Amino acid sequence: MPYSLTMIGREPRRYLPAVLAVAFSDLLITVQVGLLLGALAVLSLPIDHCAAEVWVASPEVLSIELGYPIPESLRGRLASLAAVVDTEPYLYGFSYWRKPRGGSEVCCVIGSRLEAGALGVVSDLTPQMRTLLTEPGAVVVDESERDRLGVPGVGGIAEVAGQRVRVVGLVQGLKSLGPPYVFCSLRTASLLQPLFRDYPQHTMYLLARCRNPEDAPAVARRLGRRSDLSAFTREEFSARTQLYWATRTEAGIGMGFTAFLSLLVGLVITSQTLYAATVASLREYAVLRALGIPRWRMAGLVMAQSFWVGLGGIGLALPLIFAMAAGGDSAGARVLLPPWLLAAGTGVTLAMALLSGLAALRSLRLVEPITLLR
Amino acid sequence: MAMTMTHSQPALVARHLSRSFGTGEALARVLRDVSLELEPGQVLLLMGPSGSGKSTLLAVLSGLLRPDSGAVFVLGEDLWRMSERARERFRLRHFGFIFQGFNLFPALTASEQLEMVVRWGEGTSRREARRRVAGMLDQLGLGRRAGLRADQLSGGEKQRVAVGRALLKQPRFCFADEPTGSLDWSHGEQVIRLLHSAAHDRGAVLFLVGHDPRLVPYADRVLHLADGQLVAEPASASEEVSP
Repeated sequence: MPYSLTMIGREPRRYLPAVLAVAFSDLLITVQVGLLLGALAVLSLPIDHCAAEVWVASPEVLSIELGYPIPESLRGRLASLAAVVDTEPYLYGFSYWRKPRGGSEVCCVIGSRLEAGALGVVSDLTPQMRTLLTEPGAVVVDESERDRLGVPGVGGIAEVAGQRVRVVGLVQGLKSLGPPYVFCSLRTASLLQPLFRDYPQHTMYLLARCRNPEDAPAVARRLGRRSDLSAFTREEFSARTQLYWATRTEAGIGMGFTAFLSLLVGLVITSQTLYAATVASLREYAVLRALGIPRWRMAGLVMAQSFWVGLGGIGLALPLIFAMAAGGDSAGARVLLPPWLLAAGTGVTLAMALLSGLAALRSLRLVEPITLLR
Repeated sequence: MAMTMTHSQPALVARHLSRSFGTGEALARVLRDVSLELEPGQVLLLMGPSGSGKSTLLAVLSGLLRPDSGAVFVLGEDLWRMSERARERFRLRHFGFIFQGFNLFPALTASEQLEMVVRWGEGTSRREARRRVAGMLDQLGLGRRAGLRADQLSGGEKQRVAVGRALLKQPRFCFADEPTGSLDWSHGEQVIRLLHSAAHDRGAVLFLVGHDPRLVPYADRVLHLADGQLVAEPASASEEVSP
């Protein structure tokens, strides 16, 4: 076992603050970003939960809720592409939901075809719900949004943009980060979204399915070259929507700043702990220096200690991260932990620990054999 | 500079060493024109009152503290004309040190304290280091204590580990600053006997700084330092004493 690890193993109390600081940093960074990813994933839920492989939108659309109506006539051009086998319009827009007992709420109305094999309908809607949604004014909402929308559940009546709506089904897991999603047919959506009253024969998006799903990027690239529209694959549009919110909103910046602060706190505590541990053994190091042991050997020991402290902290943090993610999920705050995030959290935290080791190296300047002579 | 050869080829020759600390009114001239020669295998005891400059002389002779003037030739090489890196390598090859405090890493075992020196100093493999360390600890009567951490050893055992650390690389010189200062005499005598036999058996120079008169019988030469000067030497070699 290397001396660095031996020292930590036999004097755990001395190194515990550093290990805890690293664990704290890793935990905070990973859970923060996981929370952000969870929130962002909610924003792109309508994209991720449907079968459309290509999304066609107005030019320069940055995010799903920032689309602008495009002529539905473009659908013909889209359908004429050899690689495309199916197309359909998709309505997405905001409206006002008037609660039956007073008060209103902004809602996000999503209208799509409902038949089997439809491209825009979210996969969470059961065949029964889809059948019920074909009735004009029928809507489905997330179960958790009932209070917000002021409806008791299935059968609840409300008014959207002056039109009477009836809740015909409740889904789970489609809770929106902003205005509640209201799923309905294309026909109902066109009635509930005032924008489309001014833009007849228009749609917010055109969706397409390709003969071969692998052709989707090529189709999107080809359509994207046109100046009057933009086009993306499902993955691209999902990532674009998430990136927009992550970079353009204060939520993403705020979480990034908090993660940075936790790194800084971890850096300072780890560095100071390693510094103090080295200073506590200055006389022992001084004997080694007197005996001619080069200084880099001691620097190597401090750096190795910082590495082990980093690894120990990460090892401590990982189960806590999963526990917190599970706790967050059960509390309604989704925490996504993709492998790349765990790897990045580990990498950043380990780099922070090594940087702490570098900062602690200044203690070795105090090692002077002459101080041993009285 | 011509070196005076009195007996056999001297292992260490110091000429006109001076060293002071501070400036102006606070100037303290700790060494004043000190010269001496040390023979291979010789045990030299440097005595003197506190503040007489004993430790400073040890530091200058052993390459730890640069003198203001004068020269130190060790095995024919001018110690203070070497680069710092070369002097460090020279200390690694030829010098062992024992200090008054034990200065052992609290988390490491007796064996590991010694292994560290040869593995880091000479790049020795772990297996070879363990073999050498086991032999050394056996010689020091610590074979059965090899696996104990520093805080599990008695004061005498700790200092024997420190002696082992200094002697493990079989240095040509061993500098010991008050090596028995932290020990009662029974343990101190044990340590001084170990050092004495190590010096005689291996032909190494033992430069001993102390003020305990009970050390005198173990020394081949005794030098006295007072006010930064060597003032008397009961043994011969009076030519080495500063005027």
